[in-house]
Formats: sequence, structure tokens, C-alpha cells
Amino acid sequence: MPAAISAIANVLIGGIFHAAVLFLVAAGLQLVFGVQKIVNLACGSFYALGAYFGITLVNFGLGAGLPDWTLLPLLVLAGLLMVVIGPPIERLLRAVYDRDESFQLLLTFALVLMFQDIFRLVWGANPRSLNNVHLVYGKWTVGDFSVPVYNLLVIGAALLTAFLIGLFLKHTTFGRLLRATAENRAMAEALGVNVRAVYAAVFTLGTLLGTLGGALVVPTAAASLDMAVEFVIEAFAVVVIGGLGSMPGALAGAGLVGLIRAGALVLYPEFEILAIYLIVIGVLLLKPSGLFGKPAA
Amino acid sequence: MSRQPTSNAAPPAEEPKGAPPRPTEHAPSPLIEARSVCKNYGAFRALENVSIAVREGEFVSIVGPNGAGKTTLVNLLTGLLVPTKGEVYFKGRNIAGVGPVTLATQGMARTFQLVQIFPELTVAETIATAAVTRQGKRWRLLSPLPQDAEIATRVAEIAGLFGLSSRLATLSRLLSQGEKKLLDVASAFALDPQVILLDEPTSGVSTAEKHAVMATLAGAARAAGVQAIILVEHDMDLVAAYSRRIIALSEGRVLADLPPEKFFADPVIIETVVGKRRGVSC
Amino acid sequence: MKHGSALLLVAIAAGALALVPLLAPPFYANLLVPFYGYAIALLGFNLLFGYSGLLSFGHALFLGLGAYTAAVVAGVWGIKEFEVALLAAALAGLIVALPLGWLAVRYRGIFFGMLTLAYGMLAHAVLFKFYHLTGGDSGMRVPRMHLLGLEFAAYNKIELLAGPFYYYCLTLCALAAFLMWRIVRSPFGLHLRSLRDNAQKAEYLGVRVHQFRLAAFAISGIYGAVGGTILGFRTGLADPELVYWTHSGHLVFMTVLGGFSSFLGPVIGALALTLLQDQLQSLTQYWRLVLGAILALVVIFLPRGLAGLAIDVSLLLGRRSAPSTASTTETA
Repeated sequence: MPAAISAIANVLIGGIFHAAVLFLVAAGLQLVFGVQKIVNLACGSFYALGAYFGITLVNFGLGAGLPDWTLLPLLVLAGLLMVVIGPPIERLLRAVYDRDESFQLLLTFALVLMFQDIFRLVWGANPRSLNNVHLVYGKWTVGDFSVPVYNLLVIGAALLTAFLIGLFLKHTTFGRLLRATAENRAMAEALGVNVRAVYAAVFTLGTLLGTLGGALVVPTAAASLDMAVEFVIEAFAVVVIGGLGSMPGALAGAGLVGLIRAGALVLYPEFEILAIYLIVIGVLLLKPSGLFGKPAA
Repeated sequence: MSRQPTSNAAPPAEEPKGAPPRPTEHAPSPLIEARSVCKNYGAFRALENVSIAVREGEFVSIVGPNGAGKTTLVNLLTGLLVPTKGEVYFKGRNIAGVGPVTLATQGMARTFQLVQIFPELTVAETIATAAVTRQGKRWRLLSPLPQDAEIATRVAEIAGLFGLSSRLATLSRLLSQGEKKLLDVASAFALDPQVILLDEPTSGVSTAEKHAVMATLAGAARAAGVQAIILVEHDMDLVAAYSRRIIALSEGRVLADLPPEKFFADPVIIETVVGKRRGVSC
Repeated sequence: MKHGSALLLVAIAAGALALVPLLAPPFYANLLVPFYGYAIALLGFNLLFGYSGLLSFGHALFLGLGAYTAAVVAGVWGIKEFEVALLAAALAGLIVALPLGWLAVRYRGIFFGMLTLAYGMLAHAVLFKFYHLTGGDSGMRVPRMHLLGLEFAAYNKIELLAGPFYYYCLTLCALAAFLMWRIVRSPFGLHLRSLRDNAQKAEYLGVRVHQFRLAAFAISGIYGAVGGTILGFRTGLADPELVYWTHSGHLVFMTVLGGFSSFLGPVIGALALTLLQDQLQSLTQYWRLVLGAILALVVIFLPRGLAGLAIDVSLLLGRRSAPSTASTTETA
């Protein structure tokens, strides 16, 4: 394979990997916004929580003598376990469901502040990372081009998640209930939907997507105190570009942001974040409903 | 169609109660006029070749069953919509799509079917909002409003006309439903409009109170020097009692444009407008 | 009479603040300098949020703009007059706010919030990445400047901040508050509040909704930039952290803590958070945790903030009428 093509392939695969993780977190953001109409700034903190706890669980598991290949199952388990924080936080948010959106935004901002210090308290101020354990699944190499198989697995897992969410929303009773609630809460309530239960379930699912995303990314990137506030803003860019509340939008937005980041890093690093926010502003101005959203009311 | 007239209409020969001051002798040019107006929403034609004119001194009611195009016509007359074909003039100026702010400044006011208030503003502040527009003071960034005697006088006058004098310092959201309705209309009157468009001003008001509310509005209009009133109303009793002319819309066309005595004498029109039951027997 | 008692309270508070450099160690005066910067910025911010109903989640952009303007004026151009920096910052605030606001005021609610958040992040990216112009991560130095033409050469930086500069900021803040008080009680301010409550009805009463939102955005931009100049002078630095979204979040935090439905609420919030943060930082390194918990409690239990609480308490005690000067819902 010629060097130029393999270089491009490297950039592409890097962008897609980033997009895969972005998609998971953004999908959680979308679910919660779509159904509960709350912009959850704390979803970045869920992501960071998944990452930190992933490190702890993997270190514990491998330290206890589990074989190396259990890395991925351990990380998925870490994401699943951390979902326990979803229901109590949802319970807290109930206090502001009927309030102005500024209060909702601020309450989730309060969570961001608190989580940041919880991470500092439990895992310390220095970044934590897993040293190259993700290479346990080997590398896939073609000429100059090589990519850790782990990264491909994560991309696969994200695509699988997208597929499963789609199936779930379209073809299960609960998925329909959920979409009905998103469409018209009062109507759903009148028809006997237990909106409270739907909200709790949706928020928990949104939390899971965040913690899972964080757990999956941590073998390739360090967990740090800043990752929550940095990542939520990127996930936010994804949902704005894709369209608030839209799942296909989350997928497309994540793909776009991931690729732009990867491309800009190679071509013109100054432009990386700048490009993303220029696109965000452009989308908001030209089509505020985003690429896949319904026109704003 | 639950809103049927409950009693006979006032005798049509009588002088309408709500008539603003008599027009001057020579026929004035229309204050507001729609010329051959059509309005389409996609493939749906909401209005077809509608021409109407309202002159100084007139009280004109627009009636018609739901879906006849009343709302569309109102939105065209208030410059909110641009006609697909034809023109709308206010005081000789084409007002297609000029928007509510320009019209408010030029002398047309409008109220809505659903009561519209500023929940966190007091009654005085609500009326003052319009008075500020009227007196061209909106860009005064630093002059204290509470010390503006001109505004205060106007607010007191308008509140007096609508019986809201004792409520000036009350927050709008704390008013009773009837008071909110009055305030909504009162604030529109504070613009000193030449034309006021009342979109079902008595909706949500109990049957017993409808006449009292209309009487207040008509009296206030006379006192405030409003030159023409356009009323959109379902209640044929009120229409009969106050209108000088009635325009009936049906399926996007003007079915009739007649004074009340002729209007209520035509059973075909009555049946189309009021529905199956013959509610009014004139 | 209602006015009188509220005015008296404000006068007492201002008098107490004026005594700080005389009675307390310089540490406290120094601590309060950023409070004045935030107070000015928040007076403007609340014209947009409390009075016009637009929640900006990128308002720290203007704080950064003010600080960087001071850095350019004094550091790059070598003009050492603080008044020039203030004027330049106000002008920069206006120039930046007009196009940004023009694009943003078509929206309200969550879309306005997201757009302003994106503005802030865009500004952060520019400051962070174009390091040959902005110094990137490490920012730009804001040199010491002259106040009213006086150099105060005998003072070291701490003495300058805790003495002359303290009084300078106190005066500036009082002026800004007086000006804003006039603005919110003007016909213009009334039209802002009417469009906040019901934009459709307001339009039919002749309120120019978009123009007025833009005017409010521009004024808040000017106030933000002026506040930012004070922050920059105090730390001697303008860095990208100033415009980061969490800093914007802190502005909203202070406003809600103090109470956005009161005129002085945001100022009270700025003071409360400045003192609280200082106390917490000296007690524990986990002050964000406590701060977050306090924010959550305020959001849930005190939606009208400390000012609302104070009004309720003063109503309860002695049945004295609430200070009408402190409410956005009364022009009195």
C-alpha cells in the first residue's frame, strides 16, 4: 500500500474511532433531550466516570489474574456497573422538570462541578491511563497501515449500539411508548403512559451510553479531570449538527465531527476545534433543527 | 357548533349600539381595504378573490363557519401574511407582510382570541408598553418611566375606560380571567389606533357577561376616538347588536357583505353562516 | 418610602464596602476586586437574562474580550492609561456583540443558549490556537496601568489593588449600577420586559422584538467587556480560560445564586460566590463539590436566589414592604 494512502487510512480510522465514542455519548444526550427536553451537561461527567472506573476495574481484574483478553468484557462491565448513578440523578432532576430550562441546565452544571471533585477525590488530580493493554487483541496491518484491533472492536460496538437503539425505538413496545412521550408528553400521560417510569428508564439508558463510551475509550486515552467538560462540549456540537433529539442525527453528527477533527489535525491543526464550532454556528443559523431534526416549533 | 344565539337579535332598524362617531358627509376613502386577495397554503386555497373595504366610522363584523378563512383574512389585514394574489391597503399604503410592529405604529391594533398578557408586568406597565410606542419613546434608554407624567396620564385614562383603575399596581397574572381579557384589549387601545381588530373578544367570557364586555369595548372605542372597528365573532346576537355591516365568509369567498337588516333577512346566508339550525329569526 | 429603605440599604452596603481597605487586611480588598469586575459584567448579563429572557451560555466571551483588549492596549500598544483600556474594551464589546447578537436574537430558549455557547467555544479555540497572536495557552500579559493619569509608583501591585484600584472599581461599579438602574426603569426597559413575557403580544403593541433584544445583547456585551478589563488588570493576565464555557456557567451560577428576578440579585450573587469560594478554598481542596451542591440546592429550593430570600424574610419580619428597587417585576 502506498504511503500516502495508508496515511489517509490512518487518519480516517482515527476519526472514525473518535466518532464512535462521540456517538455513544451524543446518543445518550439525544435520548434524554428527545424525551425529557433536558440538555444534560453532566453527560460528559458520566463519560469520565466510565473511563475512571474502567481503569479501576481493569487494573483490579487483570491484577487478580484474569487473562488479558478479558479487557473488553471488563470495560463493558465497568460501563454497566456505573449506571447505578443514573436513577438517583434522575430523581434529583425531577425537582426541575416543570421549571424553566435555565434551571435544568444549571442543575446539570452543578453535577458537572460536583463530579469533577469526586473524580479528584477518588482517583487523584493526575491523569490515569492503562498502558497499551489494548494491544492485547493485536494489530491489523496492511503495508504501512496498522490499527489496533481494539479500536476496530470499539467502532463495531458503537455501530451495533446504533443498530440496537434503532431496533429498540422502532420495534419494541417500550420504544414506541418512549417516542410517544417524546412527541407529546401530555397526550402520552392521558393515554395512561407512566411518564415518570419512562423518564427514569430513559435517563438511565442515557447514563449507560455515557459510561460505556468512557469505559471503551480509556485504553486509548488517559482519563483526566478535564475530560468531562471537554467532551460534553464536543458531544453538544454533535447533537446540534445532527439535530437535537434525533438518533440518525447523532450518528451523522458524530461521523462528521470525528472526521473533521481527524482531518484538521493533519492538514491544519489550528483549525481543529475552530472548524467544528464554525459548523455548529452555521448549522444553528441556517437550519436550527440540525441535519436530521424536525423543524423547530 | 355549540355557540348558538340564545335569544333574538336586537331589532336591526335600531341604530347600532357600538357605532363610533358618524363619518363625515363625503364618502371617505377606505381606511383598510383588501383588493382581490387570494391566499394559498400549498395546494390549499384559503381565500379566493376576496375584496372588502372598511371606512371611517364603520363597525364591521366578519362572520363565517370554522374554516371559512376568517383567521387568514385577519392575518392578511394585519400585515402578518403576504397575499398570494391581490393587495391589502391600510390608509392607502400596501401593508403586505409589513408585520405587527409597523402596523401598531401606523395606527392599527389587534387583539387575540386567546387572552394575551404579560404575566410579570403590572396592569399599568402593560398599558404603558403601548403608550410608549404611541408616544415614540421606545428608544429612551435612560429616562425614568415612573416619572413620565405623559405616560402616566394616558395609562390612567385607558385604565379608567376599562374599569381597571383600582388594579393598576396588580401583576397581570394575578387578575381574574375577565380582567385579563379587558387588559388585553385595553393595552391595544392605548396605541390610539384608528382601526382596531377584535378577534372574538368575548371568547371565554360567560354568556351572561358577553353583552357587558362588548358594551365596555364599544364604549371605550367611542371614547378613545377609534375610527373603525373590525370584529370577528361567532355570537350572532353580538354581531347583530353592534355591527353596521356584516361580511360573511364561506369556503374562502365573500358570501355576503350587507348591513344587518338585509343580512338577517336572508335565510340562505343565515343557514350557511350559523349552521343547520335557524338560530336567528328576524 | 419603599424606595427610601432600599436606597438606605444599598448606601449602607456601599459604605461598608468602602471601609474594607481601611479596616481589613489588604487580602480582603484584593479579594473583592474581581467581585467588582463580575458585578459589572453580571449587571449587563442580567439585562439579557432577567429582563429580556435570553440565557446566554457563552457570556464569558465578553469578559475575555475585555481582558485581551486591556492586554493589547497596554501591553502591545503601550498605552498605559486604564481609562483608554476601558473605553477600548467597551467599544470592542459593542463591535463584537452587534454581529453576534444580530445572528442570535432570532432565537430564544435553548437555541439561543446553544448558539452563545458555540460563540464562546469558538472564541476559546481562536485564543487557544492562534498562539502567535494571542499567546495561546499562556495568554497575554496585562501590564500595570495608570489610574486617572496617576502612576502610583510608590505602591506595589498588592497595595495598588487593595487601595486606589479598589476604590476605582467600587466607583466604576456604582456608576455602572446607576446607569443600569436607569436603563431598566426606562421605556426601553419596559419594552424589554414585555417582550420577555410575551413576544407576540409585545409585537402587536409596537415592541421591536429583535432590535430590542439586539440592543440588550450589545449593552450586556459592553458591560461584560468592562468587567473583564478589571479582571485582566487584577491578575495581570488575559488567558483563554476566561472564555471557556465553564466560566460562562459560573456567570449564570452567580446570577441564579443572587436571584435573576431582582435588580441587585446578580451583584449579591457575585459577592456571595466570591466570598464563598474563598472560604471553601481555604477549608478544602474539594470546594467544587461543595459549590456544586450549593448550586443544586439553590436551583431546587431558592429559585429566586438570595435576593428573593432576603425579600421574603424582610416581608416576614416587621411586615416592612419589600425593597421595590430590587425587583425586575416592578418599576414602582
